[in-house]
Amino acid sequence: MIKNVVLQTTHFFYEKKITKSIFYLQDSYNMFEMDGEGKWNAAYIPFIVPFTIGQFLQDDHEITIEELEMRYTTSVTKGLTSRMASEVLERDGPNELLPPKGTPEYIKFARQLAGGLQCLMWVAAVICFIAFGIEFSRGTLGCFDDLYLAITLITVVVVTGCFGYYQEFKSTNIIASFKNLVPQVKIWKYRKCMVISVCILGQLEANLGLYLGGCWESEPQSKTPECTHENPLETKNIAFFSTTCLEGVATGTVINTGDRTIIGRIASLASGVGNEKTPIAIEIEHFVDIIAGLAIFFGFTFFVVAMFIGYAFLEAMIFFMAIVVAYVPEGLLATVTVCLSLTAKRLARKNCVVKNLEAVETLGSTSVICSDKTGTLTQNRMTVAHLWFDNVIHAADTTEDQSGQSFDQSSETWRSLARVAALCNRAIFKPNQESLPIPSRIVVGDASETALLKFTELTIGNTMEYRERFKKVVEVPFNSTNKFQVIHELEDPLDLRYLLVMKGAPERILERCSTILIKGQELPLDEQWREAFQTAYMDLGGLGERVLGFCHIYMNEKEFPRGYKFESEEMNFPTSGLCFAGLISMIDPPRATVPDAVMKCRTAGIRVVMVTGDHPITARAIAANVGIISEGSETIEDIAARKRIPVEQVNKRDARACVINGGQLKDMSSEELDEALRSHPEMVFARTSPQQKLIIVESCQRLGSIVAVTGDGVNDSPALKKADIGIAMGIAGSDAAKNAADMILLDDNFASIVTGVEQGRLIFDNLKKSIAYTLTKNIPELTPYLIYITVSVPLPLGCITILFIELATDIFPSVSLAYEKAESDIMHLKPRNPRKDRLVNEALAVYSYFQIGAIQSFAGFTDYFTAMAQEGWYPLLCVGLRSQWENVHLQDLQDSYGQEWTYAQRLYQEYTCYTVFFVSIEICQISDVLIRKTRRLSVFQQGFFRNKVLVSAIVFQLLLGNLLCYCPGMPNIFNFMPIRVQWWFVPVPYGILIFVYDEIRKLGVRRYPGSWWDQELYY
Amino acid sequence: CRADTGAKEPYFWNPRTHEFLGRTASSWGLILLFYLVFYIFLGGMFILTMYVMLLTLDDYKPTYQDRLATPGMMIRPRSEAMEILYNPQDTESWDRYTEALDIFLAPYNNSVQVQNNDDCLPDNYFIQEDSGEVRNNPKRSCQFNRTSLDACSGIIDRTYGYQTGQPCVLIKLNRVIGMLPGKDGQSPYVTCGAKKEDADAIGELAFYPPNGTFNLMYFPYYGKKAQVNYSQPLVAVKFLNISVNTDVNVECKINSNTLTTGGERDKFAGRVSFKLRITSSNN
Repeated sequence: MIKNVVLQTTHFFYEKKITKSIFYLQDSYNMFEMDGEGKWNAAYIPFIVPFTIGQFLQDDHEITIEELEMRYTTSVTKGLTSRMASEVLERDGPNELLPPKGTPEYIKFARQLAGGLQCLMWVAAVICFIAFGIEFSRGTLGCFDDLYLAITLITVVVVTGCFGYYQEFKSTNIIASFKNLVPQVKIWKYRKCMVISVCILGQLEANLGLYLGGCWESEPQSKTPECTHENPLETKNIAFFSTTCLEGVATGTVINTGDRTIIGRIASLASGVGNEKTPIAIEIEHFVDIIAGLAIFFGFTFFVVAMFIGYAFLEAMIFFMAIVVAYVPEGLLATVTVCLSLTAKRLARKNCVVKNLEAVETLGSTSVICSDKTGTLTQNRMTVAHLWFDNVIHAADTTEDQSGQSFDQSSETWRSLARVAALCNRAIFKPNQESLPIPSRIVVGDASETALLKFTELTIGNTMEYRERFKKVVEVPFNSTNKFQVIHELEDPLDLRYLLVMKGAPERILERCSTILIKGQELPLDEQWREAFQTAYMDLGGLGERVLGFCHIYMNEKEFPRGYKFESEEMNFPTSGLCFAGLISMIDPPRATVPDAVMKCRTAGIRVVMVTGDHPITARAIAANVGIISEGSETIEDIAARKRIPVEQVNKRDARACVINGGQLKDMSSEELDEALRSHPEMVFARTSPQQKLIIVESCQRLGSIVAVTGDGVNDSPALKKADIGIAMGIAGSDAAKNAADMILLDDNFASIVTGVEQGRLIFDNLKKSIAYTLTKNIPELTPYLIYITVSVPLPLGCITILFIELATDIFPSVSLAYEKAESDIMHLKPRNPRKDRLVNEALAVYSYFQIGAIQSFAGFTDYFTAMAQEGWYPLLCVGLRSQWENVHLQDLQDSYGQEWTYAQRLYQEYTCYTVFFVSIEICQISDVLIRKTRRLSVFQQGFFRNKVLVSAIVFQLLLGNLLCYCPGMPNIFNFMPIRVQWWFVPVPYGILIFVYDEIRKLGVRRYPGSWWDQELYY
Repeated sequence: CRADTGAKEPYFWNPRTHEFLGRTASSWGLILLFYLVFYIFLGGMFILTMYVMLLTLDDYKPTYQDRLATPGMMIRPRSEAMEILYNPQDTESWDRYTEALDIFLAPYNNSVQVQNNDDCLPDNYFIQEDSGEVRNNPKRSCQFNRTSLDACSGIIDRTYGYQTGQPCVLIKLNRVIGMLPGKDGQSPYVTCGAKKEDADAIGELAFYPPNGTFNLMYFPYYGKKAQVNYSQPLVAVKFLNISVNTDVNVECKINSNTLTTGGERDKFAGRVSFKLRITSSNN
């Protein structure tokens, strides 16, 4: 068949390079001739070379064929000489897209090891090594602790680095795994169709055209040899690489190959560096900078303090290192990554595949969604929506699953109309689909015939068999949309009349009719009926629907007896004086879930802007249908019409809605576009080119919105890339779009975006909670060192213990907060303002650090002093004890009772303190994780056990804590001691204090919104 | 980049709004007052819990003695590196050891001991339990007379044998409240030996009191508050013919039927190691 002309050529090109292209194409042309299938008047397709995407410096599409031949020293009839061809090949290389230059894997990995916090850890590790080196050369006992710590630190950095790398690797590979999920037929075709940019020349019969479908546009575009637009992307005489020829044949000259084609440029553009940082990445970076800065500040301050107090340089360096270890939230990045990937997984189950983890959160902050119409908001299949017969407009069922209401089918006219619709139709079902529901069966035929076929199949049943009963005599395919005529024999063998059925553009059908069928009666078509017809036609057209008229005539059996030789060329049969049966109008109906989803967006403060290539009326009708233009909203034109005043006099601010078509958009300056977007909350852009989509996105971003854009075509990819979150269509989307996008909708359904938004908002809230939880314990980890340095008590908490808290016991609870349900209906709030609503705001940090963290520190010290005092070291004795306590040569240090302790006994006592402090932090963190479940509501309102993961995380934390404490061998490996059970309960009052205090805080926040309490204590 | 590049308000001091670090004076005042109250409350709670905790403590006996199962051992004279290095001919080199021992043994002078402490029944624990709530304080201690160290008492030989190349090293057992170091009337005793390669070099040893015992009558210890004049029992080791000009690594340990020597980690629990080197220039 004619299909995939370009596909074959490409394929050829792809494998055999440029040399024989012309001949091959001529071959393929000949193939057509031989095929004899169509009467296509094909011209030649010699292929030529380059133009650039940026400026489109080439005017290949505007110059004459002769000039073109000159430019590329080729011939449109003969093509390149083989010598020239090999030269071109030499110069330009094979016609292949070079794989995008990805970052080498080792650099990706290295990047994971060289983040802000990781660098600090490296410094800490190096200090440990130096300390070890010096102490080892002095032969100090216990110097290996420094070595262990250094190794542990490096392990931590490397392991978290591996984890981060693995997550990144996985998310980039999601796209690969996703390819196996969706039906691949279409995409396979696209991928194979590495077409070169083509300039269509020569004579193409306009009404045949070369339809290129798929990648560039969601609907096939007809191509003609005339230059229709100065923009090469808009003009109809250029065919692009990666498009598929669906129908027709053409001759062209190759103007670009490989990476110089548009898709090649877009691909290299899209894979290029200029990746905009996602909001969450900015947030986290900002936050990490602060943390790292504070860690260095604290470390340095206490380094100076220590030097000033009189510690040795080495000791001061170790203090610096310890403070860095204590202050840096080592587990935080892992927590954030896990939380995001959990949500990504959850979203994947709901048909949103997230390529870039951070995009999950971006989706939540989205304030504008620029959505395609076809396929995203609509079902992407023409469906019969209305019928007009018996002077009444009947609504057909357009739902995807045929769950809607049907119309009254008892009229005689309906039977006639259905017969015309069924017979006057060339579309057929592909075989072996009986098991499928009718709407999802595959049909061979154009969109409107498909719609009619499915409609008749649904209403009158078995259309194929029905057609067989009326034997087709002759078919006059003038044009599928304008006019189409078929003559059939009747099913009744006794009735020897022929039946002529005709469909086409309503006004042209009406022209040929002299009667009209009303309630089964043929009535003369007078002015009154013509007017009724006109009204109905306008009404249906106003709904944005494609309307077809249907008529028939029973031919006089005397004039046209059986065996009469009908000639389709000569038209030796009546083509006027027919009987008008009715109108059927079709539309690509909105998906059932879309109006709800748009409504949800509205309540969530998200604007939905429709950007479509469709006709403004259709676009508007669908927009009104799904709620993008709400009921009662008027455009400027509507107001003008209502008030009967010229459009110019209408106050633009009165119009909520606005439909702008591509032509108008082209003439608008960016300020005007900004103004339009600002003043009309409900916007529809119709007849836009994909390039204009980029302009619209940029305009929205100028207004400070976070923009999500849906797209499927290759030329959508710049817009997808530019958008804060690009959403590619999984079914209809091209690979280029998918590559440029941050997220892929597997079901192409707009409603899935809303789910994504909800999840994104939830994860932002929950990340806040998670980070607050994680940050809190940095204070009880830091204060032991501060007290140790300034008051010289024996060290209450060791570095390795800190790492255990950060990376073992507290990871699971902090991740479990990601499973927390939303506190309020997050879809009723405005999107967050990225400049004001930070992930980690001042209130969060201050509340975590100076309030909850402070309470935890006190808890730790209470437990520490208790453990010390009960073992014989009174608090006041501890103060200033450090130098003696840590003197490895002092084997008989007296405690408060006069007992004498060896160094090792003191060391194990110190480990006991570490463990006791660890346990205190754990107990307080259990309380902390409970209070972090909510930021505003009482935990009692939220439910203690609703989040099962959190409950199990607490259990896990306790079990792990017990394992660390009581597992044999722990004291010498990880400095954990089996502590007395009583000491687990010492911090409990502080845990209760944390819980009660936070409940009071939340109560105040709830009771007195906007008060001082709310402002200072709500994070 | 979508960051707002508009004119930034000065953060440190904003003269327009009179804001210092983003807060006005009254705002700072309020928040600092809040934190003052908050921390006073927290501090109060801390002090309260500490007070309650301290109330639960016994003044005479620690609540737990988890780390002190095996008492530590220590030598006198001691140095940082647990080494005793000297040259008998060079008075300066051992002078500090004898001085240290003089000072250490001063409280053990018989006159002091007789004045403060009781002469107890040997080989029996000197138990002085409290009767119920009534404290049996102050508790008495047993005499450990300096003379019982005999040749190492520093009375006969004021140089503790250092001058003759037969040095004395005193060994003491760390005080642990309530510790009973032996049962069935058997007192724990100290034995010393050299590390394998030095076995020949150590020569003969003499222990004072005889057999190197810590007599049971010095136990149990009742803590520094109850037993103010407690005299820790000592064992002296005299190296009678130790090889000169060679490092001798000596390890002494306690032998008891109730105590075990500490684990691998604690080199000073129930044992003590030190290095002895006597240099001699004239042979």
